[in-house]
Amino acid sequence: MRIRRELAARNRFDGNALEVGGQLVTVNGGQLTSESFLPNTVRHFREQKIGGHELMVGMEERANGAGKSTAMKVLLNLQRGAAGRAEVFGLDTISRGPEVRAQIGYIPESHEHDYAWLTCGHLIRHVAAHYPAWDHAYAARLIEVFGVRAERKVRTLSKGESRRLQFVLALAHRPALLLLDEPTDGLDPVVRNRTLTHLAEHLADTPTTVMIATHHIHEVESLADHVGVLSAGRLVAQMSRDELRRTVRRYRVEVPEGWEPPAELRTRSPRRSRGGRELQWTLAGEERDVTARLTAAGATIREVAPLALEDAALAFLSEEGTP
Amino acid sequence: MTKAMPEVTLHATPRWSDVVLEQVRVAGHGLRREAIVAIAVLGVGTAMVGSEIVAGGPGFDSNETLPTALVAFFFPFLLWRHDKRFAPSFLWTLPVDRRRLAAARVFAGFVWLMVAVASFAAWLLTLGLVAGAPLAHTILRIPVVATVGAYLFGSALVLGLRHPIRWLLGGSGVLFLLGIVGDALSRPDDSEWAYIPGAHAFFEEVHQAMELWLKLPDSAQWAMTTFLWLGAGLAALWAAVTRHKERRRH
Repeated sequence: MRIRRELAARNRFDGNALEVGGQLVTVNGGQLTSESFLPNTVRHFREQKIGGHELMVGMEERANGAGKSTAMKVLLNLQRGAAGRAEVFGLDTISRGPEVRAQIGYIPESHEHDYAWLTCGHLIRHVAAHYPAWDHAYAARLIEVFGVRAERKVRTLSKGESRRLQFVLALAHRPALLLLDEPTDGLDPVVRNRTLTHLAEHLADTPTTVMIATHHIHEVESLADHVGVLSAGRLVAQMSRDELRRTVRRYRVEVPEGWEPPAELRTRSPRRSRGGRELQWTLAGEERDVTARLTAAGATIREVAPLALEDAALAFLSEEGTP
Repeated sequence: MTKAMPEVTLHATPRWSDVVLEQVRVAGHGLRREAIVAIAVLGVGTAMVGSEIVAGGPGFDSNETLPTALVAFFFPFLLWRHDKRFAPSFLWTLPVDRRRLAAARVFAGFVWLMVAVASFAAWLLTLGLVAGAPLAHTILRIPVVATVGAYLFGSALVLGLRHPIRWLLGGSGVLFLLGIVGDALSRPDDSEWAYIPGAHAFFEEVHQAMELWLKLPDSAQWAMTTFLWLGAGLAALWAAVTRHKERRRH
């Protein structure tokens, strides 16, 4: 098969390729929307080559406009990056757009569907006609599992129902890459849990790379292997979930009057709050290394506490606002 | 850190014929409401003509003005009304080359337009037969070439422009103004336009060209008109569809 041969050839990266998902998704020297995206993307993806399936990249953002939706649209060739290029499974997203989209299941941020005049059943049939890999038996199961009623008009669906329909459309052709933009938005807590359970089952069943953009990283914490943090179009951090948990910690230290932190810690201090002579910092780095630096600078360590994944990711966002 | 990378089996893209068939199907689905309205209008027309025939009147003289070209021109506006053509919308997420997908949708619309025209012709013929009108006359009243050409231009307008209605209104406004100017120039004795250097000579040239055109034999004129009309429509459509191609690299 021509595509497979090309894929094998593409896997021989020359060391300059920048990878998300090993050979699965490659962002190569890509500047997506802003000038600042490029250097950060390059730096972080050079440091880490992530391989294999079942990768999940959660992107956390504090405010809209971080660039997460844009990144997905660039991969789908719905939108053009300002510079650089993107590849999915070794396929260029621009010159091989249709082939790339055949490998992708996409849930957009919006719940509204352009073909809202169709019934759910007709829409599913319409989408299925464009995917030769559509698994009709699996689609029927998904329809049942997600409680989609085929006879209902799409325009009459609530946000949650619409989202569940989008899950059916995205999963039923068993894509190798899932792009989920705020997938749990609009779902009530019960349905959200059920949906995430079904998603986990799908991932266990079907080898899939998943890129999730979410404000609620705690929801996908149990599913994520890797976490990337996008802010204002820049990938400010990207690492494995375990590494994020291990290296981002909250330090409570006691410091002398007028004490100033060492320069290298200042640059690496995502969050800082002062209460008297006590400082509370969220710092990234190996605990032993950070502790040694603080102690050498004259601070006394009172407590080191691990953080939840969401708090750890948030720490990188607040770095942007730290003087 | 790096895991063993399992081989990925890539999914194929759909066959072109499947895409076209599906576009025909979904386009037909999207036009159902309009079809029902059209059938209702024809039903009312049939009832009116029928009652006139029963009352002993002429009923149907097959000499009505048939605005199929006008309908065909605006048909693409209906066909594409659900799609955000210039936005990252659902249509463009499908795994089909965008130009081919747009062309498939245009073809789907053409199929349904021809079905509508054929149905309309059948309705006319039936009424003509019942009313005793000459059949050949009835058939000639359907401007098929103009209908197809108008559909091509309408499709080009909808696919090629972000705001086709604005362009249409603006273009109509410009034509209206040109018409006023033309009227003024055609009465040189009454108008100051006559004093514009070369204006009179220019419109004289246009007039002579039109005279020449009108002197062509009927069949040659028809062939040339068809060729130019459809050729220009196809060229415009090609240019419009090209706006939606998969974007080029820098």
